[in-house]
Amino acid sequence: MVDYASRAATRARRRETTDVASFVRRLDWILIGSVAALVAYGLWAIADITRHDVVTNPHYYFTHQVAYAAIGGVCLIAAVLIDPDVYRTRWREIFGGMCFLIAIVLLTGPIRGSKRWLDVGFFKFQPSEFGKVLFVLALAGFLAERSRRLHDPRTTLSVVGLALIPIFLVFLQPDFGSALVYCAAVGAVLLVAGTPWTHIGALAAGAVAIAVLVLGVMPAAGVPVLKKYQEKRLTGFLNPDSDPGGTTYNITQSKNAIGAGQLRGRGPENATQTTLNFLPEHHTDFVFASLAEERGFFGAAFLLMLYLLVVWRGLRIVTLAREPFSAIVAGGLVVALLFQVFVNVGMTMGIAPITGIPLPFVSVGGSSMIANLIAVGLLLSIHVRARTGRR
Amino acid sequence: MISRRFLPPDPRVEEPYRLTPRLALRVGLLGMVAIAVFATLFLRLWSLQILNGQQLLRAAQNNQRRDVRVEAPRGSIVDRNGLPLVTNVPGTAVQIWQTDLPKDRSARLRELRKLARVLLMSPIDIGRTLRRHRNDLLAPVTIKDSATELQVGYLKERRHDFPGVQVANEYLRYYPHRELAAHVLGYVGEISQQQLDALGKQGYHLGDTIGQSGIESVYDRYLRGTPGLDILRVDSLGSPLGQATPVVPPHPGSEVRLTIDVKLQAAAEQALRYGIERARNSNCYGCWNANGGSIVALDPRDGSVRALASYPTYRPSLYVGRVRQRALDAAGLTAKSAESMNYPALDRGIDAAYPPGSTWKPVTAIAAMQEHILQPFESLACTGSYTKAGHTFKNWDPFVNEAMTLTTAIAQSCDTYFYQVGYRFYGMPSRLGPRLQAWAHRFGFGQKTGIDLGPEQTGLLPTPDWRKQTYTKKTDPKQWQVDSLWKPGDSIQLAIGQKDLLVTPMQMARFYAMVANGGKLVTPHLLLDVEQPSANRTRGRTLPTPPPPAPEPTNVDAQALAVVREGLFEATHSSLGTSSAIFGGFPISISGKTGTAEKVIDPGDGYPRTFNQSWWCGYGPSDSPDLVVCALIENGGHGGDAAAPAALKVFEQFFGKQATQKGPIHSD
Repeated sequence: MVDYASRAATRARRRETTDVASFVRRLDWILIGSVAALVAYGLWAIADITRHDVVTNPHYYFTHQVAYAAIGGVCLIAAVLIDPDVYRTRWREIFGGMCFLIAIVLLTGPIRGSKRWLDVGFFKFQPSEFGKVLFVLALAGFLAERSRRLHDPRTTLSVVGLALIPIFLVFLQPDFGSALVYCAAVGAVLLVAGTPWTHIGALAAGAVAIAVLVLGVMPAAGVPVLKKYQEKRLTGFLNPDSDPGGTTYNITQSKNAIGAGQLRGRGPENATQTTLNFLPEHHTDFVFASLAEERGFFGAAFLLMLYLLVVWRGLRIVTLAREPFSAIVAGGLVVALLFQVFVNVGMTMGIAPITGIPLPFVSVGGSSMIANLIAVGLLLSIHVRARTGRR
Repeated sequence: MISRRFLPPDPRVEEPYRLTPRLALRVGLLGMVAIAVFATLFLRLWSLQILNGQQLLRAAQNNQRRDVRVEAPRGSIVDRNGLPLVTNVPGTAVQIWQTDLPKDRSARLRELRKLARVLLMSPIDIGRTLRRHRNDLLAPVTIKDSATELQVGYLKERRHDFPGVQVANEYLRYYPHRELAAHVLGYVGEISQQQLDALGKQGYHLGDTIGQSGIESVYDRYLRGTPGLDILRVDSLGSPLGQATPVVPPHPGSEVRLTIDVKLQAAAEQALRYGIERARNSNCYGCWNANGGSIVALDPRDGSVRALASYPTYRPSLYVGRVRQRALDAAGLTAKSAESMNYPALDRGIDAAYPPGSTWKPVTAIAAMQEHILQPFESLACTGSYTKAGHTFKNWDPFVNEAMTLTTAIAQSCDTYFYQVGYRFYGMPSRLGPRLQAWAHRFGFGQKTGIDLGPEQTGLLPTPDWRKQTYTKKTDPKQWQVDSLWKPGDSIQLAIGQKDLLVTPMQMARFYAMVANGGKLVTPHLLLDVEQPSANRTRGRTLPTPPPPAPEPTNVDAQALAVVREGLFEATHSSLGTSSAIFGGFPISISGKTGTAEKVIDPGDGYPRTFNQSWWCGYGPSDSPDLVVCALIENGGHGGDAAAPAALKVFEQFFGKQATQKGPIHSD
């Protein structure tokens, strides 16, 4: 007698194992490898950079950062396992939740002059970091729903209108850097969704007009939109010698730090810009400068290469995505990452405005680390479920 | 397909999603943007680290390097025997590095207020000091000298509450003899902006201590030494990391040895006070107003100053460390309080001019003999008064009526005798010019003596030209026609050192030194030598200094000088000599001349009137003089009453012998 039942069970078991094996095989291992390398390299750098920061515990930031990376890894795995389609249908909830979280921060008390964190006991939760991922998901969901009416200007205007709500809330915190990242993400989302060039062109023109208005015309007319320090930071990098003791102090010290690294770096002990605290925020916003000082051109270029690898894999995922929603999500996340890397690294080298954008995977900070790993998880999840044709 | 089952087709997607050309184009664009972004970042990184790496590395190294100037101990000033006049004591200063103060205004103010409380000073004072140094961010600003041990301990313990504040060792001037020779020594103070502008090229820096007057100022270049350099590594808060590394050791300033003799200087100052006291206790008219004076003691052979006293005086220690305005006010050292204290900062020996009175008569005598308008043994009538050109000029002693030769006229200080000599000068042909003034000029009057101390007054040697230039229609609209003329009275009064003539005690001493040394005009000087201390492997050595100007021959006829010297000897020895009562009883033979000069002074009651300035100038021993003394007591009455006894005190100290007073004083 043939035990059909047991044979079916064996078949099912075999199917299951082949399913799991196939799932694992279909992960983008190059992306995983480069992100893992980024996180590891970042942790190693942080361990050296922050050695002198907390006198009582030289490993304070390092251990924290390891914990965040671990949590982020778990979140990444969870994100891979969830089908992105789940988000597509629930973009309204995602959007509402995101706006709610960001709004809560505004209502609680300020930390260090700005309200970016939400204190949840062990951890200072920074919704605007997670907001980046949620923001892309929500807009992508909206665009996927309207994928047949992309040529209607109202679609584009609706996207912009939706996007402006969280952008404005983040701007109020004030977290100008994150607001800029959100703007970049909006552009990417529209681009990948297939919005006509005319709409994109009009939006770009509008953005330029607003920038001119905010930076030039309105202050001249006596209605300042930006705070003085924000304006100085935005334009300070254009003339770095204007105020070496004030706004551009950080930039000068940062450039000195990077330059002092030269080809091979000064090593963690001789990196005086970092160890003697001349470089402020050297474990967060200016971590790249510290890394460049300690590890030199080789080390800094290696880091940039890893980012380039991640961006390349991300763009590749855009082309492989199963359906428009996934493609749009992937595009938004990759551009957000690219933008953050450029603005942060560019800021430390004096070619981008000073904004408080952390360097993904490297800067000390749990929210940023976890949110970025979740974003990678999303990319992997899309990749796993990608079309099979071109593999 | 296995994946079919694991990933079922999406029922909402009607057709399989394909990579459309449109999406491919757009992703391609994004890729190009990404490549452009990374290319930019790489190029910038290359430019910073490889192309400009050296330069930025240097900038980074300079960041934490702090060059600290190490103050060199200032050289001490000693007297001719090596006894200290000014030395140093160590002190602790509280300094502020302005760049390291909190950037935030309110935090900065909070810190300064706290600091002020600790140091027991007003925050406004600190703010004012910092504002004065606001352009000088690379050097610490001293806000308090001589901080107490408690304060220093407190600040050191709470270093983190006071970013930018440091405690440094410093050297403070110390005056073992208090106000002794204050006018000679001068005082030190922080360099002013004007001084910095003038001396910046000579290596002076803001915050340096520099001599502000007296020897401290004149020989600052020897005294100040060379500051050293330490390199200190600091963090961004300015807190030092470890010990400072000395790079250049400070080189202490050299020791300046003066020609002053501490004991003689002390005696001169004591004598000055004694003379003033004596005048005040006498019942002469106006002597109650005796409140100042000067004594100059010179070596007549080379012009080295043995003592230079001026009264009233002050304590230079008032200027040590942080100067308190109120203390200066109380000492009369500020512009508004100086007058009420009779200008204690004024060095009356060189910077105040007085009519010389009868001490001038030897000048007239020598000039007249040189011009052959007076024979030494010619007898002229000495009467109670002398009338010329409608004016009557009185003799100080109205009861005298006898014929006198020059020596007797000098000894008894006969005014009418010299009136006649003065009139003879007036009668000289005008093409020869004013001959008396010419000789006086040759003897150093009307010009600076050239002493290595300042400021110095030239005095006033009136000439017909001077009258013409001074009294013009503009300056004297009412009677300039009369005043601008040189009249007989001008010559007559000039002969006895009155009217417009003004001299400084130092000029007078210089002239008497010329008489004493046989006709050579010396340049008074204070510097004996400069000794560089042994330090850092260099052995102590005497630094080369410019030698004092050699005595200049005046080509005075030896016979004429001999007659004047005879007259000066008789003035202190003959029975009617004006200071015989003072010097007659002194075992060493002293020659000298009294003077009573009338000067118009407002004693403070709003009625200016003439007061007698008491003078005595002379030298001793008479045959080979070792010391010239010139004493002046303001409003001291007759020369024999105040100045001569004061001068005697100096001689007593110099020769180590006491005098006994001999008979009543009969002096002008």
